[in-house]
Amino acid sequence: MVERCFVFLGWMGTPMDPRSNVETRTSEVGLEAGRESLEGNAFLRIPLRVVEKIGRTSRTVTEHAGQLGLLFWRVLVNLVQLKVSYKEILNQIYVMGVQSIPIVIVTAVLAGIVTSQQGGYQFTATIPLYVMGSIVVTSVVLELAPVLTAIVLVGRVGARITAELGTMEVSEQIDAFHSVGRDPIAAIAAPRIVAGFIVVPILTGIAIIVGIYAGLASAKYTLGIGTEAFFYGARLFWHNWDLVYSFSKATTFGLAIPLISTHMGFRTTGGAAGVGKTTTASVMFMTLTVLILDALFPPMFLD
Amino acid sequence: MIRYRQIHKAFDEPVLSGVDLTVNEGEMFGLFGPSGTGKSVLLKTTIGLIAPDRGDVFLKGESVFFGESDALERVRRQVGYVFQHSALFDSMTVFDNVCMGIPEKELQDMPIREAGKRAWEALEIVNLDPRMVLSKLPAELSGGMKKRVGIARAIVGKPEMLLWDEPTTGLDPVNTAAVERLIARLSKELEVTSIIVTHDIEGGLLICDRVAMLTGGRLRFCGSPQDFRTSQDPVVQAFVNRAGAEAALDNQLNVV
Repeated sequence: MVERCFVFLGWMGTPMDPRSNVETRTSEVGLEAGRESLEGNAFLRIPLRVVEKIGRTSRTVTEHAGQLGLLFWRVLVNLVQLKVSYKEILNQIYVMGVQSIPIVIVTAVLAGIVTSQQGGYQFTATIPLYVMGSIVVTSVVLELAPVLTAIVLVGRVGARITAELGTMEVSEQIDAFHSVGRDPIAAIAAPRIVAGFIVVPILTGIAIIVGIYAGLASAKYTLGIGTEAFFYGARLFWHNWDLVYSFSKATTFGLAIPLISTHMGFRTTGGAAGVGKTTTASVMFMTLTVLILDALFPPMFLD
Repeated sequence: MIRYRQIHKAFDEPVLSGVDLTVNEGEMFGLFGPSGTGKSVLLKTTIGLIAPDRGDVFLKGESVFFGESDALERVRRQVGYVFQHSALFDSMTVFDNVCMGIPEKELQDMPIREAGKRAWEALEIVNLDPRMVLSKLPAELSGGMKKRVGIARAIVGKPEMLLWDEPTTGLDPVNTAAVERLIARLSKELEVTSIIVTHDIEGGLLICDRVAMLTGGRLRFCGSPQDFRTSQDPVVQAFVNRAGAEAALDNQLNVV
């Protein structure tokens, strides 16, 4: 039933399962014919184009939503049926997680230092400097660590997944998976999505620790705040909920990035140029999703 | 036996418009036609890689698209598919690529030694030295070797039917002839039903029991290679003459 709902939502595009690929483009042909006859009227041309643009965009959004939902559902089904190789999940955890640690650390160090420096510049002679501890810790935990880690992973992991799967799609390797009776969702998509779900919160945890200590070091050497004063300020405004909030964000991003990148990879058509185009679209799609989800979190989870 | 019943398929434009075709048990069947007439699309419908907009495919009497829920899975176990550009998995070694052709459930219960033996045998059948290629990645192989690995992957699961999607595309004349001989030999040795989509008309007419020609999404001709050569249909004639001229040119170039 759930699968049918997602298939219905995504019916206008290319479905994941060839068995459900029974589509005709009659609606599009009708639209074209209608548009041509109405475009003769100059007054109607502009509003018609606007309506057409809105219609096409809505259709694309619905199509993506349906296909993403279907992909997620099939990943869940494969996980429940234990069809996903744990070895491949471990391999992806290594590729997506362990190999991303250096870039995540560099990003977190820079984020911690910049927060500390800019805070120090703003607070000089007006607010007690120990408040810097709270500013750095809260900024890193609530925003910088989860969001910057996600953005870094969009480029490092998401783009790689889309390009890899896109190349497999255009070189018929995905068809080859089907032809030998294997399910590419179980073999390719699910391990990446599960690995992303696991590694992004862990990388965010690393970014939080590194970011806070980088901020502390920066504050210590440039503003002269002691370690005790820094952590006194941090404790003063600390809520345990902040950590739950931060990891909830990271988990959501960890699901969204590999889900979107695999979905876009499977949709690739048109050879090498198609792979480039889809990868660019995928990076844009993932970045926007991360930022929109980030914007939705405060009204939902912060008082 | 493979039976296509009223296959219709469109991608923006109609590609197949009501194709009816039956391929008999143990037959080597050739499918010719100009580019873009839906030969590969028809072949892909056989194992559900592309679903027709209308119509159905029957393998040994079982419906592929409107049968039981696991019909597609069963069909894919019975069929070996050789892709146009080999479609080897880039990140896997030749050994892993070939082993992927063994049905998943069978492979899970199989000791690794047995899987290795099966892969070794399949590579030997396609005239590759397993010691030389087993641990290599597809990127380290030549075009002809990739084709052979693709064929080994298709036959390692002991299929009852083999589908060949332009298996000689991109190969030089020597490799083309070698692959064609291999196709003819395998089809006889393995006693499988084969459908071969090819632009190499001369080679196809030599190795096939029956051939068909697709134009404009419909079957233009279906019959024996001899009937194809002597057909009075101008389109078929043009194809035969072009194929004859190309074969002569190839021979001339080979002599030179």
